[in-house]
Amino acid sequence: MAETAENIQVLICTGTGGFASGAQSVINAFEAEFAKQGVEAQVGKRCDIKKTGCRGLCANDVLVDVIIPGQESVTYDFVTAELVPQIVEEHMLKNEPVVKKKAGPYYTQFLEKQQRIIFSRCGTIDAESLDDFIAHRGFTGIKKAVTMKPEEVIEEVKKSGLRGRGGGGFPTGVKWSFCKATPGDHKYLICNADEGDPGAFMDRSVLEGDPYGVIEGMMIASYAIGCKFGYVYCRAEYPLAIKRLQKAIDTCYEKGYLGKNCMGLGFNFDMRIKAGAGAFVCGEETALMASIEGERGMSRPRPPFPAVRGLWGKPTNINNVETFANVSYIFYNGADWFSSIGTEGTKGTKIFALTGKVKHTGLVEVPAGTTMKEVIYDVCGGILNNRKFKAVQAGGPSGGCLPAEALDAEVDYDSLIKAGAMMGSGGLVVMDETTCMVDIARFFLNFTRVESCGKCIPCRIGLKIMLEILERITHGNGREGDIELLESMAYDIKKSSLCGLGQTAPNPVLSTIRYFRHEYEAHIKEKACPSHSCKPLLHFKVIEEKCKKCGICPKVCPVDCIAWEKGQVAVIDRDKCTECTSCYDACRFMAIE
Amino acid sequence: MVNLTIDGKQVTVSKTATIYEAAKEVGISIPVLCYAKKLMPYGACRFCLVQVEQMKGRLIPACTTPVSEGMVVTTISDEIKKVRKTVMEFLLVNHVLDCPVCDKGGECDLQDLAYELESTSNRFEGEKFDLPTDEVNPLIERNMNRCVLCGRCARVCDEVVGYGSYSFINRGFETKIATAYDRGLSCEFCGQCVSMCPVGAILPRPFKFKARPWQLKEVDSVCGYCGNGCTLTLGVLNNKVETIRFNDKIGVNDGNLCVRGRFGYSYVNHDERLTKPLLRKDGELVEAEWDEALQVVADGLANAQKGQGAGILSGARLTNEELFVLKQFAKTLGTQNLDHSGGECYKGVTEGLKETIGISASTGTFPQIEKANVILAIRSDFYETHPVVGMVVNQAIRRNEAKLLVLADKRGKLSKLPGAKTLLTKPGLELDILNAMARVLLDEGLAQTEGVDGIADLQAALANFSPAQVAERTGVSAEQLQAAARQLAGAKNSAILMAYGLPYQGLNKELATAAANLALLAGIPGREGSGLYLCGEKANSQGAIDLGILPQGNGMGAQAMFTAAAAGQLDALYVVGEDPLSSYPDRDRIAKALDKVPFLVVQDLFLSPTAQQADVVLPATSFAEKDGTFTNAERRIQRVRRGISSPGQARADGAILTALAGKLGSSLAFTGPAAIFAEIGKAVPAYATCSFNEIGPQGVVWGGESLQPASRKVVAVAGGSEVEGDFRLVTGSALYHSGTVSTKAKGPMAVLAEPYVELSREDAKALKVADGDLLKVAGNGVELKLKAKVGNRLPKGVLFAPYHFAEAQVNRLYKGEAVIAVKVSK
Ligand SMILES: Cc1cc2nc3c(=O)[nH]c(=O)nc-3n(C[C@H](O)[C@H](O)[C@H](O)COP(=O)(O)O)c2cc1C
Ligand code: SF4
Ligand code: SF4
Ligand code: SF4
Ligand code: SF4
Ligand code: SF4
Ligand code: SF4
Ligand code: FES
Ligand code: FES
Repeated sequence: MAETAENIQVLICTGTGGFASGAQSVINAFEAEFAKQGVEAQVGKRCDIKKTGCRGLCANDVLVDVIIPGQESVTYDFVTAELVPQIVEEHMLKNEPVVKKKAGPYYTQFLEKQQRIIFSRCGTIDAESLDDFIAHRGFTGIKKAVTMKPEEVIEEVKKSGLRGRGGGGFPTGVKWSFCKATPGDHKYLICNADEGDPGAFMDRSVLEGDPYGVIEGMMIASYAIGCKFGYVYCRAEYPLAIKRLQKAIDTCYEKGYLGKNCMGLGFNFDMRIKAGAGAFVCGEETALMASIEGERGMSRPRPPFPAVRGLWGKPTNINNVETFANVSYIFYNGADWFSSIGTEGTKGTKIFALTGKVKHTGLVEVPAGTTMKEVIYDVCGGILNNRKFKAVQAGGPSGGCLPAEALDAEVDYDSLIKAGAMMGSGGLVVMDETTCMVDIARFFLNFTRVESCGKCIPCRIGLKIMLEILERITHGNGREGDIELLESMAYDIKKSSLCGLGQTAPNPVLSTIRYFRHEYEAHIKEKACPSHSCKPLLHFKVIEEKCKKCGICPKVCPVDCIAWEKGQVAVIDRDKCTECTSCYDACRFMAIE
Repeated sequence: MVNLTIDGKQVTVSKTATIYEAAKEVGISIPVLCYAKKLMPYGACRFCLVQVEQMKGRLIPACTTPVSEGMVVTTISDEIKKVRKTVMEFLLVNHVLDCPVCDKGGECDLQDLAYELESTSNRFEGEKFDLPTDEVNPLIERNMNRCVLCGRCARVCDEVVGYGSYSFINRGFETKIATAYDRGLSCEFCGQCVSMCPVGAILPRPFKFKARPWQLKEVDSVCGYCGNGCTLTLGVLNNKVETIRFNDKIGVNDGNLCVRGRFGYSYVNHDERLTKPLLRKDGELVEAEWDEALQVVADGLANAQKGQGAGILSGARLTNEELFVLKQFAKTLGTQNLDHSGGECYKGVTEGLKETIGISASTGTFPQIEKANVILAIRSDFYETHPVVGMVVNQAIRRNEAKLLVLADKRGKLSKLPGAKTLLTKPGLELDILNAMARVLLDEGLAQTEGVDGIADLQAALANFSPAQVAERTGVSAEQLQAAARQLAGAKNSAILMAYGLPYQGLNKELATAAANLALLAGIPGREGSGLYLCGEKANSQGAIDLGILPQGNGMGAQAMFTAAAAGQLDALYVVGEDPLSSYPDRDRIAKALDKVPFLVVQDLFLSPTAQQADVVLPATSFAEKDGTFTNAERRIQRVRRGISSPGQARADGAILTALAGKLGSSLAFTGPAAIFAEIGKAVPAYATCSFNEIGPQGVVWGGESLQPASRKVVAVAGGSEVEGDFRLVTGSALYHSGTVSTKAKGPMAVLAEPYVELSREDAKALKVADGDLLKVAGNGVELKLKAKVGNRLPKGVLFAPYHFAEAQVNRLYKGEAVIAVKVSK
């Protein structure tokens, strides 16, 4: 249905977050309410419900916008079906927005420093509607591209300065030109939507909220490089993204946008989705191709690079979801526009997924050059419970952590690497003072050690040994020399591993040692965890100055060994204590060490 | 070519070379563990890391990284040493290190590498692996506690063997190599994974605790089974062949072996080997002294010559030198009745080829098959008859994307290779397909007709072989036929493969002619990179053809000799290295001939069914006990080397023949292989290209890599005819066996111990038979009872029975036809 200024619009988030919070029942409630109240007749306007994609503030789902023509749109958060009659009654019929349920000022703040380009359609258009896509400049990029020679298209992408958003940051135009230069007329295009980085879900949201935008980016690439067939390798754990993308592909085929002579523009492009098995390593391009070929997801040596010998031995170009999404916008607005955003080395915007101890978790899109501090404090409202910030892990299991003193690092491939982290795919895990940095390193190692494909010795065995050393340290069995041993082996593993997984897996260890060496030392020498987070190192003693005498811990103690009286500091009887950690978990003031 | 610098040395190598290969060229050895010359680059172990000036900041795997112009490589530095040592420490943390009892100890790459890196201590600790060993099958033991996950076993089984036994399972540290469902190995037991495993994780069970590697004497020789001529290495201790090893460095066929070559050696040491001559006295065969036995033979043969004459029949596992002496001996004896198994089984093949291309040999070499773009395999499943050529085909497909066309009556392993197109026809109708393909080439103007004689006649004779007509008769669609013909003609390099052997006698000449016609029209013979391949059943089949072990003058060939003997018209038969009663078609006729012939001499390793009928039995020697040459199916003359001495008083064929000649008053002498080889050169010019001692590890290919045909003439061949009836039986070779001698070898017998008849699932269902049930197979007036083997290789209505097992007497049913109509019941 075309958008008209006359209609009242209700935008409901139907991203994975939205659905998880009950978007479907909210939609049903709106529809039921419209019918029950005869809303359209009463207000004399059509009421459209739009099922949008993710808007970024997933923790506050279900997000609903009510847009009455001529008025500013009003955003509600935490909307439930029960709330709907009130919104309809007061806001839509009486034109009195339900102020108490409106998203607070944090929402405006959340949006203020963002520059939502890739996300400009996510959360505003109906994700499943081709018409809505077209009404929002959809497919104008490919139409513009085909007026240029393929070589010129690649030049344009080079000029834009776009670098791959999958983690490596390789200049996209240059990558395309490699694949184009390889002889042969059977070439493949792959969109990497594996997104195995724990806590990251940027690509999922883009696919759910703007599937056509990704298809368009791929069409432009296929035209430029000369790929006749494309795969979207999407992890099977993203059913909604797969469903929406499949629907979009089907629609494109129906309308002649894909297939032979796409849109009548004179080139052929077929595409299909390949659901991945959910292994982190399958995001690595050579393992990904092996997986599409039906083999075990195991990395292969490069060279030969995919551009020369890729999928089924044919030249192949692989880019990330967000990269393709960017391409569409470069062709809507031009390379000059794109390269005017960002820093010298990093152009355009980058989407981040914020998780951890930050007030507003979710997805944010900021122009390159924004500092980490701005992302965490200005956009996401700072640290949860007003605790002290300790570090932010950028780049997931491949990345590193940045402490407070490094928070001025900008969103920029090079400056993040210089600071000891990396852009990666865009996962940011925010940690506060209660997080033990040795334990964080152990957490990521535990992830990569399991996800290693097992092919090469340093990654397969080295990571396991590294994890065992970290476990030993967090259990209070650290030894003199462990830090040096970790550093030495980390270096060798990075140098000798076959693929990016092993080459980067030791990063969390190295960066935590770099910035938080003292925490390692405390564990090893004093057998103490400064953040009181490593349970085996707890002393089960109440810190008098910290105890707020709240009386919660005695209630949870299963063996009744905590003595407490109103107004008194609690005392734990160490003889009776079984070290079950119930009291530790229960204490909100971190008063038990 | 590309120029680069490695450790300061200038190197110029081909642009496809890797850094590792380039370094090797200038004598710099980079440590490797997962690398194997014949496998595709893999890059798993990371021991080969080097530094490259142009790729700073990283270490570069030498085994997978191709060279590039101007590259500056450093193969050893403190940094490289440190990283390699760390990787070794990682590897040794959990490895069991039970070297004292590990059969690999002493030739283990892991030991050697740890030694080279001086890994004396380990900064890391961890638990030793404790996984169960896989000892489910009798030939190969897998001990995953010693596995270093180099993937070589999985890769060779996939990339070369084409079987695909192994796969990686689990992730991270728990990754391991597993068989299907982790149930234990059950495969075709070629032992290629044993050869490839750099450590003691995959070992030959028959060799367990037999010898330390350094105690073994290694003797490079040639496999004594089929005509592929694979180099194999005898591992000898105390005059006993304890194991067969491979030579992938300089050996023929890259060190690849099949189950027969790898595990089929034990017949050499078999305790039933004949050790003394036997003489029939009072109806019994009793041991005798050589002198007496030889005298009896000499007298017997001389007597026969005075009467209706004697005939000599040889096998094709004698060396060229022995065959040459045999031919001399026939002359000495004065008989023209001479033949070898070829006379029986593939005379037609040689004749067909002679008429068309003027030579009776393959025109190319195996390495060219690996580079071919299109391969057409006719009739036989090469993986069964010539397993290592099957592997070459597999490599051509996997490495060079060759297209494979299989023209056969069953879907064997070749048909399962990636992209293989099977032209599945009814048995006996392969000819029609070849004719139709020739017709397509002619009709579509794709044929090379210039300089080819007989085109017009052929064209006329192919009137009834339009693709549509042939499709009707054979069930292979016209489109498939056309596509296949076009593919063959359009390829840059093509190969046509044909196998021959005792069980493939029917329509032999016709098939060879039709194949040669097609080859000529596609411009294959003599074209660099392309070839028509004729693969013989026995180790020296080609040598026997080359040396002309065939009827001399008006003499009788094998068939004629048996017919004459059965009719009481031959007075003596001297059978050398062959068991016709068990292996020749039409057993009843052979039995009658052996029964009737007044004087029968058999020279063999075992008291075979034929030998049991003999008047004199002479104990001969196996390939492991003699020096000489074999000529393989590529025309490659190779050195056979003696590894052990013969049991008891057994003597080499050449020595026996010359001794006999002596008794006959001749001065014929076995002057040693080198001298006789030189003699051969005088009689057979192709063999004059080199001296015996010049034959290197790769042998010498007579006529060169690409043999020019002596003539180019296409000759019309009639089509085959379908055999009526519900069931058709074909016989042939089974993968695990070769001729009859492999039934005396423990390895092949451990895998396939019994005769059987194979049938399709569909037929089995209809007949209500299950695997192992006894089936009655009747035809040609004979009924056999054979165990059923149900599989999905055969189409409905077709049965297959291998011919190796003497006791099954399949050759009573099989009388030399391409296909036999049979009745089958439970
Ligand atoms: C272990 C590992 C996991 C990866 N996972 C992803 C992923 O989930 N998504 C992605 O786009 N790229 C991932 N990559 C990067 C890809 O290999 C590849 O560089 C990327 O898809 C290229 O796209 P781009 O040029 O658009 O960035 C991963 C790399 C490694 C080493
Ligand atoms: S680095 Fe790890 S994931 Fe990559 S190939 Fe090696 S074992 Fe596999
Ligand atoms: S829960 Fe914490 S603050 Fe409350 S009484 Fe126990 S130790 Fe004190
Ligand atoms: S595989 Fe090698 S290192 Fe391991 S136990 Fe055997 S000989 Fe020793
Ligand atoms: S013996 Fe041969 S078929 Fe069996 S697993 Fe080893 S390589 Fe594969
Ligand atoms: S079994 Fe042997 S060949 Fe196979 S992966 Fe292990 S070490 Fe390598
Ligand atoms: S039987 Fe043939 S293929 Fe097998 S090893 Fe011997 S020569 Fe090679
Ligand atoms: S899914 Fe609703 S805002 Fe992200
Ligand atoms: S030999 Fe190069 S990685 Fe193993």
